[in-house]
Amino acid sequence: MKIKTIVISCIIFLLFAFVSEDDFLFTTPKNWPKPVYNFKKNQLTDSKILLGRVLFYDPILSRNNTISCANCHSQYTAFTHVDHALSHGIDDRIGTRNSPALMNLAWHQSFMWDGAINHLDMQALAPISHHDEMDENIKHVIEKLIASKIYPLLFYNAFNDSTITGENTLKAISQFMLILVSANSKYDKVKRMEETFTNQEENGYKLFKQNCASCHTEPLFTNMEFNNNGIPIDSLLNDIGRKRITQNNQDYLKFKVPTLRNIEFSSPYMHDGRFKRIFEVINHYTNIQKSKTLAKQLQKPIILSSNEKVDLTAFLLTLTDKDFLFNPKFSFPKEVLLK
Amino acid sequence: MNKLIYFILIFILKWNGLNAQSICFNPMFVGSKLVLNKKYFMANSTDSIQIETLKFYISNMEFYKNEQLIYKEKNSFHLIDAADSSTFNLPINFLSKTFFNQIKFNIGIDSITNYGGAMGGDLDPTKGMYWTWQNGYINFKIEGKSNLSIAKNKEFVFHLGGYQNSFSTLQTIQLPIQNSEVISINMAIDKWINEIDLDKQNHIMSPSKEAVFLSNKLSTIFSVSK
Repeated sequence: MKIKTIVISCIIFLLFAFVSEDDFLFTTPKNWPKPVYNFKKNQLTDSKILLGRVLFYDPILSRNNTISCANCHSQYTAFTHVDHALSHGIDDRIGTRNSPALMNLAWHQSFMWDGAINHLDMQALAPISHHDEMDENIKHVIEKLIASKIYPLLFYNAFNDSTITGENTLKAISQFMLILVSANSKYDKVKRMEETFTNQEENGYKLFKQNCASCHTEPLFTNMEFNNNGIPIDSLLNDIGRKRITQNNQDYLKFKVPTLRNIEFSSPYMHDGRFKRIFEVINHYTNIQKSKTLAKQLQKPIILSSNEKVDLTAFLLTLTDKDFLFNPKFSFPKEVLLK
Repeated sequence: MNKLIYFILIFILKWNGLNAQSICFNPMFVGSKLVLNKKYFMANSTDSIQIETLKFYISNMEFYKNEQLIYKEKNSFHLIDAADSSTFNLPINFLSKTFFNQIKFNIGIDSITNYGGAMGGDLDPTKGMYWTWQNGYINFKIEGKSNLSIAKNKEFVFHLGGYQNSFSTLQTIQLPIQNSEVISINMAIDKWINEIDLDKQNHIMSPSKEAVFLSNKLSTIFSVSK
């Protein structure tokens, strides 16, 4: 009996010895595709994630130390900005786009509504430098971090080196963003056979698969592509979408397909936040005006009765993941920032 | 500490009869070394020009002997800054006494590296050579003043970059060279400036057809100093 216990303990020990740390810090949910982020080049550790989380919540990233990433990406609203159609930055400046919800970023190849950013590590540079967001530059951020009371130690703990560099700062922010995985909604539990849909949700799911899933593809609820979803251009913002990046006429009015996960909490919707309620979004899709670059998935009209719209909404609400929205690991690190 | 390791390495290489050499890039203006902020006059005219900033990347250095690759520098990314002459000289440590008669290198950063996420050293985004609103490295940056420019304060700003498809600005340069301790490569900055109608064009700050055009012209300004 004793020998058996020793053998089992040894096996368990060996098992743990060969499983690297990041296997615990990040797991790919069952039946999900492989993440595109290369974790080998930025291996997750608790101390790097903590550093990234502190940076995410610290207004030190902005010119006058007033705006943090979390200002426009608040956890309880799926890491977007509630009640703000357009991003609201430093000195009350207003940007031109709706701040995107942040989750499951390890699966994304490009970022921003127009795909202007090609790698998660480089994403944070855009809001840091943007005149209407943080209006700062990374070189000055690093100087402020070096001069701060808390960061030299946090960097030392994370990188075994108290020299603070742009590379390490960006990699730490990536680490925090990478662990923002939302995969425990009612929908996920139904898929894992832990719960069941109501009849209404079930019917909504059927309608979703028929009408929405070609772009909002499971399990991430986005196909990661850029599409013109038929919303007419706002003449004040005059946002041409992906064409700004590619300078290709075919990309006129195309924007990245957003995830629908946690849609209940991520209002307002669309790249310019023009819709406040889910029913407005659904009504838009049942009323598409044709235009030159309109997505091929929307060429055929979507017809839904008012009951079907209610059912579809009921399904969309099953994408809410409270474990994600209220996970204390993702929240303001008061133990560090309020010390 | 790094310097110490470097000197020890050089010492060991020398001790073993191996070869340590360096490639030196010299920004020139009308035949002599470029002096930043100096007022130059264009050939046959009263038009003046001052260069205030000149920074660019040299990457992927390769050495050939009769078209055959002899040596390829690993992790070959060098930011050269006209304001800091210590960046002009790039030491190369060959593993053996190497003969070559051609050098190949890029001006700028290749597209694979542009997709590679956050990097350190000369590629750290704090170096001021990285675009943030649409990401990617700036391959070649030159800023200054000219009475020809109609911009505010008579400034001109050219940030050449772009790595995607038709907006790729990366340039590959090939030059015949000879073995020597220091290989000096001159860059005739004035020759490149002369390609621009400064009275019509005074800035480029994003990937574009114009950036591709002016980047192509960079390939004509390199020569090996005798």
